Amino acid sequence: MSSVTVERIRRGRIDSLRYVSFALSAVAAAAFLGLVVLFAVEALPFARRAGWGALFAERWSYRTEEFGALPMIYGSLAVSSVALAIAGPIGLGAAVFLAEVLPRRARIAGKVGIELLAGIPSVVYGLLGVLLLRDWMLRPLARWDPLSGDTLATGGVLLAVMIVPTVASLADDALAAVPRSQRWAARALGIGRAGAILRVVVPQALPGLFSALLLGLGRALGETVAVFLVIGRQDNQWPERLLSVAPLAAAGQTVTSKLGGSETFVAYGAPVHWGALLALGLLLLAVVAAISFTGSWLALRRVPRA
Amino acid sequence: MLRTRFRLLLISLASILAATARPALGAEPLRINGSTTVNPVVVDAADLFRAETGSTVFVDTQGGSSGGIAALGEGRAEIGMISRELEPDDRTKFPQVKFQATRIGTDALALVVSKDVWAGGVKVLSRSQMQGIYEGRTTNWKALGGPDRRIVFFNKEPGRGTWEAFAKWLYGDPKKAPVVSFPEVGANEEGRNKVSSTRGALSQLSAAWADGKTVFALAIRRDDGKVVPPTTAAIADGSYPIARPLQVVTNGAPQGLAKGMIDLLLSPRGQALVTRHGYLPLAPASAKKRIP
Repeated sequence: MSSVTVERIRRGRIDSLRYVSFALSAVAAAAFLGLVVLFAVEALPFARRAGWGALFAERWSYRTEEFGALPMIYGSLAVSSVALAIAGPIGLGAAVFLAEVLPRRARIAGKVGIELLAGIPSVVYGLLGVLLLRDWMLRPLARWDPLSGDTLATGGVLLAVMIVPTVASLADDALAAVPRSQRWAARALGIGRAGAILRVVVPQALPGLFSALLLGLGRALGETVAVFLVIGRQDNQWPERLLSVAPLAAAGQTVTSKLGGSETFVAYGAPVHWGALLALGLLLLAVVAAISFTGSWLALRRVPRA
Repeated sequence: MLRTRFRLLLISLASILAATARPALGAEPLRINGSTTVNPVVVDAADLFRAETGSTVFVDTQGGSSGGIAALGEGRAEIGMISRELEPDDRTKFPQVKFQATRIGTDALALVVSKDVWAGGVKVLSRSQMQGIYEGRTTNWKALGGPDRRIVFFNKEPGRGTWEAFAKWLYGDPKKAPVVSFPEVGANEEGRNKVSSTRGALSQLSAAWADGKTVFALAIRRDDGKVVPPTTAAIADGSYPIARPLQVVTNGAPQGLAKGMIDLLLSPRGQALVTRHGYLPLAPASAKKRIP
């Protein structure tokens, strides 16, 4: 074969590869768009009856056609905030240790371990939550005298355990992407190891670290099964004071635990009720998509300067 | 070269698809879904049915009674299990489906409490006392002769046959039940676990699941003052006030595998399973009766 033929075949392959990958990406994009359109269309009867704004009321009672989801939105935010407040420092700390302190081989072993944790099905975490966490949470929450171990705080702690691997692994990637030369330069200037990490590596990796937190948050917001099992699924828990700790010691409902519950079976066939649930799904999709998009964008934007 | 490989890939893909599709075309499985209360009986009957006919039977409990109706309505199941009567709502939601219920037994709904409440002296509850708890006016067991402990009421999820029977007893019609805010439980297993593991707990549960070891069934003080515990005898003679039917539902008259399965449930062997799981079997005379 002459080199020209080889070149032609190679170019042909690249072209067909390009078409195939384009087609497959198009399928993924079309599936996503189709999903959004389907949800929107199915949610229309609700929007026509009550208007999209009806979703942002305080009371949910499908028998009286009230579909206020604010307590669930509050529940989702509260649970994810607790999760991020716990998992953020632990995850980032673990990442610094992995990327900066451990020797290379140990880092890879540690990372594999952490990613294994991320692969555990969420229902397993949920069952552990039912088995252990519900009882354990009674003690730290004793001041607020919770009725049972099913509380927003329990859901938050469980989610924290679940998103630590996500945060740690992504933050580790971000730190590792800062070029070695930066560390050498810092050390050459007489800055200690800790100083180099805190003043040179971490600031450069900041967008990536932020993105790790955001993607962790996205996972927390979208998680269903584990939260469902320990949150109590109590409707209409709109707290008197939004920023107080007390409501965290009570049972509640998140958007996901609502959608994961048996109400979907009641709603199916009743267009307005069904539409309200799908509108809730659409809201969740929009929020999680926005957070994940921002997170991914930050991670990609990070351009290491040599 | 690439084309050949691509074609090979297509051919192998197609053959994989064909191979996986074939068994599904051969024997239609019998799919059953619905109430967790009816489930144990049907699961045992399905074991017998599989062994004897060699057919494939799937039994699932997605969404309780309403889940059973929905699965049947959407054609995802041939038999729905419900622990309540068929409601006009079911027909409105799936007008194209001709729901036909076959009763296989009776269950009572019990109000169950955790051990500390039972040991603390609460053994009986009246309808008005239960209304007080459900409407949030009574929040401490002390008011009901029990320990000084807050009442942790786990409400059964909407769409569950248990909740429907409870609301019917409490307010005459589930639609008249007020909007409340309580933690919710789904399947019977979940309700029982949460009540047994929480102090001061109360919930609605199928009487057959109230084992008297982890959760305890309260007697009901009827409106006429008579105190009746949910015993088999009291359920059978109708003196216990909250009973409900256990039914299997089909689209039109049962046919094929579904008919075989339902006939088995109605046979003496099937009825023995109903008894074994703590439910009340059909009276011999009404064993063939079908409630439309």
